Amino acid sequence: MRPWSDADHSFTCDSEDMNTSVKRWVPFASVPLVAVAAAIAIPLSTNAAQDLPEKTPEELLTFVAQSDVRAFSGEFTQTSDLGLPDLSALGGSGTGATSDDSSIAAAIMELATASHDGRVYVDADNGARLQVLDRLGERDVIATEDDGLWVYDSGEKSAIHITATGDVPDSPTLPPADVPTPSSVAEDLLASLDGTTTVAVGSTATVAGRSAYELLLTPRDDASLVDSITVSIDGETGLPLGLAVTADGSSSPAISVAYTSIDFSTPDADLFSFTPPSGVEVTEKTSPANEHSDPATPEPGTGLPGATTSGSGWTTIVELPAGDASAFEGLDAVTTAVDGGRVLSSSLVNVLFTDDGRVLAGAVSIDALEAAAR
Amino acid sequence: MTTSGLAVETRGLTKRFGRHEAVSSLDLDVPTGSVFGFLGPNGSGKTTTIRMLLALAAPTAGTISVLGSEMPSRSADVLPRVGALVEGPGFYPFLSGEANLTRFDAAEPGTSSRTREGRVADALARVGLPAAARKKVGSYSLGMKQRLGIAVALLSPRDLIVLDEPTNGLDPQGTREVRALIRGLNADGTTVLVSSHLLAEIEQLCSHAAIMRTGRLVAQGGLDELRGTTAAFELETPDAERAVGVLARHGLAALVTDDVHVGDGRRVDAALPGDVLSEDLVSALVAADVRVRGVAVRRPSLEECFVELTGEGFDVER
Amino acid sequence: MSNAEVPAADHGRASSTARPRGIGALLLSEFALLFRRRRTWALLSALAAIPVLLAVAVRLSGEGGGPSFVGEIAGNGLFTGFAAITVAVPLFLPLTIGVVAGDSTAGEASLGTLRYLLITPVGRIRLLLVKFAAAALFCLTAALTVMVVGILIGLALFPVGPVTLLSGTQVPVIDAIARALLIAVYVAVSLLGLSAIGLFISTLTDVPVGAMAATVVLSITSQILGSLSQLSAIHPYLFTTHWFGFGDLLRDPISWTSFGENALLQFGYVVVFGSLAMGRFVTRDILS
Repeated sequence: MRPWSDADHSFTCDSEDMNTSVKRWVPFASVPLVAVAAAIAIPLSTNAAQDLPEKTPEELLTFVAQSDVRAFSGEFTQTSDLGLPDLSALGGSGTGATSDDSSIAAAIMELATASHDGRVYVDADNGARLQVLDRLGERDVIATEDDGLWVYDSGEKSAIHITATGDVPDSPTLPPADVPTPSSVAEDLLASLDGTTTVAVGSTATVAGRSAYELLLTPRDDASLVDSITVSIDGETGLPLGLAVTADGSSSPAISVAYTSIDFSTPDADLFSFTPPSGVEVTEKTSPANEHSDPATPEPGTGLPGATTSGSGWTTIVELPAGDASAFEGLDAVTTAVDGGRVLSSSLVNVLFTDDGRVLAGAVSIDALEAAAR
Repeated sequence: MTTSGLAVETRGLTKRFGRHEAVSSLDLDVPTGSVFGFLGPNGSGKTTTIRMLLALAAPTAGTISVLGSEMPSRSADVLPRVGALVEGPGFYPFLSGEANLTRFDAAEPGTSSRTREGRVADALARVGLPAAARKKVGSYSLGMKQRLGIAVALLSPRDLIVLDEPTNGLDPQGTREVRALIRGLNADGTTVLVSSHLLAEIEQLCSHAAIMRTGRLVAQGGLDELRGTTAAFELETPDAERAVGVLARHGLAALVTDDVHVGDGRRVDAALPGDVLSEDLVSALVAADVRVRGVAVRRPSLEECFVELTGEGFDVER
Repeated sequence: MSNAEVPAADHGRASSTARPRGIGALLLSEFALLFRRRRTWALLSALAAIPVLLAVAVRLSGEGGGPSFVGEIAGNGLFTGFAAITVAVPLFLPLTIGVVAGDSTAGEASLGTLRYLLITPVGRIRLLLVKFAAAALFCLTAALTVMVVGILIGLALFPVGPVTLLSGTQVPVIDAIARALLIAVYVAVSLLGLSAIGLFISTLTDVPVGAMAATVVLSITSQILGSLSQLSAIHPYLFTTHWFGFGDLLRDPISWTSFGENALLQFGYVVVFGSLAMGRFVTRDILS
């Protein structure tokens, strides 16, 4: 081993070295800069939407109502940013819960805190299918006229088969109505609009690569935590392409769902025929023709047994009767104590767990919940 | 090939590592066709200079020209014509000697894969390693690795061969072989730059030399030039006084060293100027009936020159 | 022609303008170097041990259940491959890729071969390109090793039949094997970004172990960042974001979205860290 003093200096660099090596770095350093700039700029530039013919809010609502898209398939992304603490440790990720009540609660939690990617396939003549694309898992809701509704969970390896009771000779709703899609959720919302909401037309946007109108829904009642809901509507077909709920005092949506790509060709009919694979536990259920249950996207306040509501419109408060408190055990970590109970607070929805076991929830302030609890 | 007739030419070559200046304003001239001894103690900046010549390291200041082209900007054109052994051999220990050479040959752009096997076998033969060709380099002795390193430098015909401490780890027999190899290469017209911290080892090999010390060039030039023109003329004779007279007539200031007696003979020392031939002196002495028992002309070694130039020992770390 | 007799000025070497010629030979040499190392085979053997251990454990315990796909092994041997790759993706594959990519130039530097390659002259950018190509080849080999060994051990120890996809559809064995190979390709692509990062780190040092460790640590750090919901804003840009997106190849129909997004993201990482590696390597003094 020969001593070689120079080796000791191999990592030092003096100013003169710096000058020359900085120059030689330039061509290589510029590539990452361009790449990073492109990563930022390209998504922005796609937002430059093409002009669409102007429409009044009323015309847009009619445009949606008269939309005649009978078949399409699309991929969508749903995000939630409710300002909630991470609840995944409490409720699991929608799997593992056993009782109906807690699984609904867990599903709400999951929907409120996590993001989801999914696909929908709709063919008004054949059926509809929703796929929630989980990491290494999938939850499917498949509806057909002949075979009722299938709810499949690959993680649970379970399937629920819901068929209509008795004879339903002429079902007034087509099977696709049983499967929630970004479009159907938005359509339902627009159909239920009443005097409590101001409707305005916003700017033009690009959704799933298509130019879309934006319909801005604002509650007239200031007490609501909801600042506005934006519905994007395909400029060509009138199909709603996305929905974003913005909370009071926030600039980015608390909940949003929108297609990332959409295709108006008729999906493969095979997608609507579901045969439970071997090894899957199938639960057969029957339900009246017009009711449906969809654990994939449950909406607060619907389908919960024994729930009562007070108030109306945007400030409706849902109250669950006493007795369910055990389902929410262990929530202390994410709730804060208030007079007469504990509160789970988010930017869009507040939930009050009263000391006597009742649960009140609504898109209103904590004070309003407390008042309703009395 | 170069207008200046220099295989390597540096001007003001400087390399700094932080505050430490490893090479300072080096003006190196390696004549084409020479065997150039690049000498200096360990840590004197030889290897750093060689790294810069081979475009492994960028100079802090100064210019380098190798085989007439500027370095490191033209390294892609120059380096194929240069073979080198730098800072000891470096090999893949898990590959055989043959596979190592094949790898380096394949790494050279433009080499034909059809003739690769032949080149590798030739290079192995030239360093005397065919027997160990298929053994893993991990099992080689340092001397074998050193030879294999030289073989890498010899894979293709080169105009310049740079050998950094080529005899390191070699036994005397290996050292002799390396010397013979260098002479052979030089005889074929290849310029050879040999660095060493052992002056004596390559002194007899070089036509030219440069001496480095702490990053600076102490001296360079033809070997005789370096050693100086003065040699010591030593005569052993019983006729000392007569000899002094003869030498004086030839312009040599001779001294009789009284305390050195060999039988009845005594020693006469004189400095031999460059324009006086020792054979002329001997015949003049014989003609003057001086009984010459022994004559020696001692030229100073490079090491002595170095000591004279720097006032200190050459290899301080030895 | 005997090379020794050719004059120095002309011995069949291409002129400098034709320099890219012969990168094929260098590439082959690099691949040969990779697969002639005992270490490479040790890494691949360790990866192959994952499906074997999984299958043997399931066989001995005879129990179903467990994490993704493991529960299915007993019922269908093909799931051994899927289960093994799921187990290997977060740690074992990045570990082996970290070793190979982190070693790329730092290993040559520590062996002392780097300076000889550069004197040859191999060309610094050319060397980085083949080093990356070798790392990429190793990514594919590593992913295929896990998957193929998984399928083979599954075939040997368990019954095999039509495979149930995540969407609940059953596909024939041959279709499932095709998807399995596709997953291996997906996983290999997923690791390209990490390979580029490892290559860059490798150009920073002469200590291969340091580069390897730093690369592996980065892959774990990225996964931890990816699990923190508070950092969701940066999640789309983490190179580990789509690592588990291979599940999309087990849907009906196959969702190519994550494959495309993953490929684009990894390409971005390769471009960014590839140029950083080049910038560093071209300007660097080789003092090892």
